[in-house]
Amino acid sequence: MNHTMILSWVTFIYFASFVLYLFRLISGKEFWGRAASFLAWVGLAAQTIALLLRWKNSYDLGMGHVPLANLYESMIFFAWAIILIYLIIEWRTKSKIIGAFVVPMAFLAMAYASISPDINNRIAPLIPALQSNWLTSHVVTCFMGYAAFAIAFGCGLIYLLKNMEKGDVEKPAGFLGRLPALATLDTLIYQSTALGFVFLTIGIMTGSIWAHYAWGSYWSWDPKETWSLITWLIYAIMLHSRFVRGWRGKRMAILALIGFACVLFTYLGVNYLPGMHSYLQA
Amino acid sequence: MSLKKNSLWSFFSSVKLTITLLALIVLVFIAATFLPAYEVFQTFTKQLSPGAAKVFLFLQLSDLYHSPLFYFLMTLLSLNLIICSINRFPALWKQYKAPHFPEPAGIFDSLPQSQIITGNKEISKIKPIVASCLKKNYGSSKEADTERGYLFYAERGRLSLFGVYIVHLSILVMIAGAIIGSIFGLTADINIKEGESVNVATLSKGNGIHKLDFSVRCDKFIVEFYEDGTPKTYRSDLSFIKNGQVERQGTLLVNHPISFDGFRFYQYSYGAAPDIKAIVTYTTAGKKGGSMALAAGDTFDLPGSKARGFVLRVEENIMQRGPAIKLRIISPKKDIQFWVFQQLDQLIAMNPNLLTEVPMFNPGLFTPFVFSIDRIEQHYYTGLHLVRDPGVPLVALGGLLMIAGMIIVFLMSYQRFWVRMKQEGAKISISIAGWSNRNNQQLQNKIDYLCRRIKEEIKA
Repeated sequence: MNHTMILSWVTFIYFASFVLYLFRLISGKEFWGRAASFLAWVGLAAQTIALLLRWKNSYDLGMGHVPLANLYESMIFFAWAIILIYLIIEWRTKSKIIGAFVVPMAFLAMAYASISPDINNRIAPLIPALQSNWLTSHVVTCFMGYAAFAIAFGCGLIYLLKNMEKGDVEKPAGFLGRLPALATLDTLIYQSTALGFVFLTIGIMTGSIWAHYAWGSYWSWDPKETWSLITWLIYAIMLHSRFVRGWRGKRMAILALIGFACVLFTYLGVNYLPGMHSYLQA
Repeated sequence: MSLKKNSLWSFFSSVKLTITLLALIVLVFIAATFLPAYEVFQTFTKQLSPGAAKVFLFLQLSDLYHSPLFYFLMTLLSLNLIICSINRFPALWKQYKAPHFPEPAGIFDSLPQSQIITGNKEISKIKPIVASCLKKNYGSSKEADTERGYLFYAERGRLSLFGVYIVHLSILVMIAGAIIGSIFGLTADINIKEGESVNVATLSKGNGIHKLDFSVRCDKFIVEFYEDGTPKTYRSDLSFIKNGQVERQGTLLVNHPISFDGFRFYQYSYGAAPDIKAIVTYTTAGKKGGSMALAAGDTFDLPGSKARGFVLRVEENIMQRGPAIKLRIISPKKDIQFWVFQQLDQLIAMNPNLLTEVPMFNPGLFTPFVFSIDRIEQHYYTGLHLVRDPGVPLVALGGLLMIAGMIIVFLMSYQRFWVRMKQEGAKISISIAGWSNRNNQQLQNKIDYLCRRIKEEIKA
């Protein structure tokens, strides 16, 4: 079985896991939750194997590089990171509710990577600019950050959904009652944002060091650099308004959505602007 | 006067200003990524009224990152950061120097029952138990006998109070590094042909040149491709020559710059040098004539005739038909032009009537001479980018400080614990309270742990 086959199965597994998380949310039966997270773990394990196979495969083809070098590979890694961070949070909080909002993002990333006609899934050789040891640390830290922000986004969505119906008063019964408490969501939004912020900071810095060696300048105002800084500033504003002005709840949830929109633009939108990060154009 | 100073001071020390400035900077960035580049911009401004074009140029909308507007915002942000830091320092220092005793007022009021332990032992026996428990977890503890009861104090992570300061300082350090780089730094480009050396670089900004104290020679340039045609390697073998001596030789690759004499050299581009030469041989009436190296614009004499030849063009690959040169030969009787192809045999094999159809492709058009191309000599030039940026160490230091500061801010907190023992009738009540500058969950876990430990120790 080659890695492409495994990855198509993983896409399917994440979808199935998402459906089971939905069952858990609607029925309230813990069985579905256990099944859903079992599938998510299976998917993560299979995806890890597929990524390693792809890595080995690139050596067999005589190119030998980590599978993080183009849009397809970064998309797959993004999905992997989302599931990894989500499962760690699930394991620590023992709550299987936010899975219904987070796992579909991993599924969408996988599906988009394999279906979109603009994305080439071939293993391609590395052009000279990418032949650097900083490739791995830069891409890994950035996408771990993006994944943490994706989870903050998911929690923000749940917060607003729950908040929309009944304001800040908790009501135990019904579908919305099964969603995590607003205070828990607020903490999760903050924690995953802080995690993502640290990763993004390190990601920008490793990128900067790499640019210093590859392009001769640690900062060149390339659109992707600028947008990563915009994203960083949005999350900096978000954390400051929490620390200093004590913002909580709905405002943080809205900022988590705005921040993630910036993440997506930095990741995908910027590719339509001219710049030096053109490796991602398929 | 002092009122004015105060209002200005309070303006710069507000967090509202910080957030407003950050939001404005974000807007500038968004505009900057969408506004067109300078070249596109010029054609735009031509269609605008001259007045509007002036405004656009004044605001440097085509390069907002180096515009007065952006510098102004960054100056305000730096002032804001510095003044906020100064303003908050006394309160922070007070927190840092806060005495262990007395404990903050009311900290023992309304404690949950789980944080109060009652024991039957004598106070003098419980004291060492509590002290050793605190010592084991927090290194040391302080004690005080007050009318409110006998108090113990322990703490952890006091220095973490400065985490936010470190992060903010790191930003100022990076800005300072960037300013130093932009004032004292220099970026320039050099194109060096294989085998030649150059000691003058073209500055990236403006049209100036920069004379180097040394010269750089390109010994060889190599470009390699993968099977599918994507570039694999760009490589320049360079020699750095100072005072007539080769001081350093090195291989320059993308991602592997070479440092020499305060400059860093980067492999940036490459190209074919314009002086392509053809090694041309000719025969005279079937007998071997001579051989010449010809570049476009060269002239040559043909021995045994009064003719003079002019090289009009030298092409590495013309119309996919391989290397060719175009010659013009003027003699007292004739003035003719014709092409000489290196792969003429193959061309004729493809089209046997070629020479009758296109007489100009006949290399023997000027009888009795017949020309042929032996080989084409083409040199590459390597495009180097050179940078001198004295701000880099500061920026790197700023980066390290920022990571260190963030680790402190997000992972550590200042936690203080007070344990109070009080005789209540025949029993002793032990209350444990705590305070932290953030992360109350962690503090609660620590208090719960302390309670458990002390309970167990007392029982034992």
